[in-house]
Amino acid sequence: METDAIPQPAEEEAQQIDSADLVVGILTELGSDAISRMCGSLQALPGPARIAILQHDTRNGPAATSPDAPSIFFVPSLLTNPDGPGAGPLGMAETYKSVFAAGEKLQSRGCCIVASKHESSGAHWASELARPLLEQNVDLVVPRYAQHRFDGLLNSGIIAPLIRSLYGRRLHNPMGPDFGVSRRLFQKLLGTERSGKSGANGFHPLASLAPAALCDNLSVAEVHFGARVYPSPDWTNASSILAEALGPVFVDMERNASCWQRTRVSSSVPAIGQASRVLNDSGAVDINRLVESFQLGNRALQEIWALVLPPYTLLELKKLSRRSVEQFRMPDVLWVRIVYDFALAHRLRTINRDHLLKSMTPLYLGWVASYARDVQADESMTPDQRFERLALAFEAEKPYLVSRWRWPDRFNP
Amino acid sequence: MWQQIKEALVLSTAKFLTKLASLLPGLAALIVALFLSLIVGWILAAIVRRILIGLRFDERMSQWGFASFAESAPMKSPTRLVSRSIVFIVVLAGFLIGVAAFDSAWTSLFVRSVLAYIPNIIGATLVLFVGRLIARFVARSVLIGAVNLNLQYARLLSEGVRWLVVVLAVAMALEHLRIAPEIVELAFGILFGGIVFCMALAVGLGSKDLVTKSLERDVKKSAGQELEDPLRHL
Repeated sequence: METDAIPQPAEEEAQQIDSADLVVGILTELGSDAISRMCGSLQALPGPARIAILQHDTRNGPAATSPDAPSIFFVPSLLTNPDGPGAGPLGMAETYKSVFAAGEKLQSRGCCIVASKHESSGAHWASELARPLLEQNVDLVVPRYAQHRFDGLLNSGIIAPLIRSLYGRRLHNPMGPDFGVSRRLFQKLLGTERSGKSGANGFHPLASLAPAALCDNLSVAEVHFGARVYPSPDWTNASSILAEALGPVFVDMERNASCWQRTRVSSSVPAIGQASRVLNDSGAVDINRLVESFQLGNRALQEIWALVLPPYTLLELKKLSRRSVEQFRMPDVLWVRIVYDFALAHRLRTINRDHLLKSMTPLYLGWVASYARDVQADESMTPDQRFERLALAFEAEKPYLVSRWRWPDRFNP
Repeated sequence: MWQQIKEALVLSTAKFLTKLASLLPGLAALIVALFLSLIVGWILAAIVRRILIGLRFDERMSQWGFASFAESAPMKSPTRLVSRSIVFIVVLAGFLIGVAAFDSAWTSLFVRSVLAYIPNIIGATLVLFVGRLIARFVARSVLIGAVNLNLQYARLLSEGVRWLVVVLAVAMALEHLRIAPEIVELAFGILFGGIVFCMALAVGLGSKDLVTKSLERDVKKSAGQELEDPLRHL
């Protein structure tokens, strides 16, 4: 979003508050208590920081300057409304961009975005995201949430290991949705979009932040947070979530192809804070339903998968679909190759992109079934151990991706 | 008597040979026209193909979202489709010019009526082509959506939708070609209605269980009995 696009009243408001050291965008619903505590924790940041808070729902917070915290200003009008009613972080691309634009307008040193709900208070999250930006000159601060076994599987099963194998840094939540972003990084993103280099669709902040920082060798850190509250799954739109989340990631992958093809091994990023434990992690998943979805997909979507996947993978999937629910287990290598093949088909536009990503849903549910069987069968295995094994498979299969990316026709039947 | 029959036969043979001989220049002209049009078509197609390859036409078509157009083209290459269409059009034009060279009243009439009919043929071809693209796109959307909703009859539903669109496109094309419009109208109504009826029956009977399950889930949810699914995707 260009700063020129900010409406007139916002311009006037921004004129009154001519500068800020930090811009904090609150894209989730927080109660007035939580806001007050957040202001308190932000006050404790080092130096005489002027902080602008951008929030839609000002009923919960002070309307203008906080009386308790004179250096904190509320500037709700600089925030763009979410793209649709009830849009989650994925549907808030323009809102994220408006936070960056406000950061640029107010010449802030960085922006923090709090977009998720949390199990505990979570009022300190903004200051924890801001601290590395202001104290250690970190360019991108990403969260590391305490995770239940079946939380954020799309992130843990595809996005995080994919980003790790592509860009060589072990980020656990590369798509946030909570972020701390330095001035250098948000200016780079806004500049890229204005120059038109980000392509016809522009950039999606959630998908582009981590790759942009990693490709430019900017400093990145993770902050340990408590557990996030995830929205309940809706079985009727799991495919839409998949398409919405993976689309921008694959677009970014295409944009940064020259960068990630050079990366060979991965390394960890500095972690700040203490990892917190998740309590009450006893939920069980209905594996039958997941396997049935996979088997139905395998029966009905063969003609589409045949356009995307090589014969060997199709054969393996056929074998897998014949197994009983008790014996169902999708090997990591197979899953990794499927993800890579879909990324390539997305780049080549083998079929309509929306169809492509949505047709991946049964495969994803097959992997979820396999994962659920693994962690339910072996109580001693933590999700982190399981995801580490998967991430290593992503790294080991990267040469497969690179060769298919460079010579896509070589593997065609 | 015999002499008269002989004379009549000779006369008619001479007439036939004269007519045949008068057709020969036209026939030769037709062959030459076809041959020349083939060469011109081939050269034009080669030039166009080269230009389109230079412009990365195939890639751009995919980028502009016409992936299904590429799929329906020969060897999945829209460039080839365009170049082959050019050859076909030039050869057709050559054929019509060759036929016109016969220089008789009925050939000119034939050529004129064919030329007048060409817009209908082009229109019908376009309708069929676009119909095929739409049928494939819609059928795929329905198939993927139905599979993701866990509908066991997803394929049946998708095929039904595909045939609905194809039947509609064929009926429109025949209407365009003015071939037995009344029969087409009637046949279209019967076919369209038949497909919709079959699908309604199949889907209705097939979703009996689904509706039951859905209602049960709603009842359980309202009574607070249903265990919450611990899966969280993103």
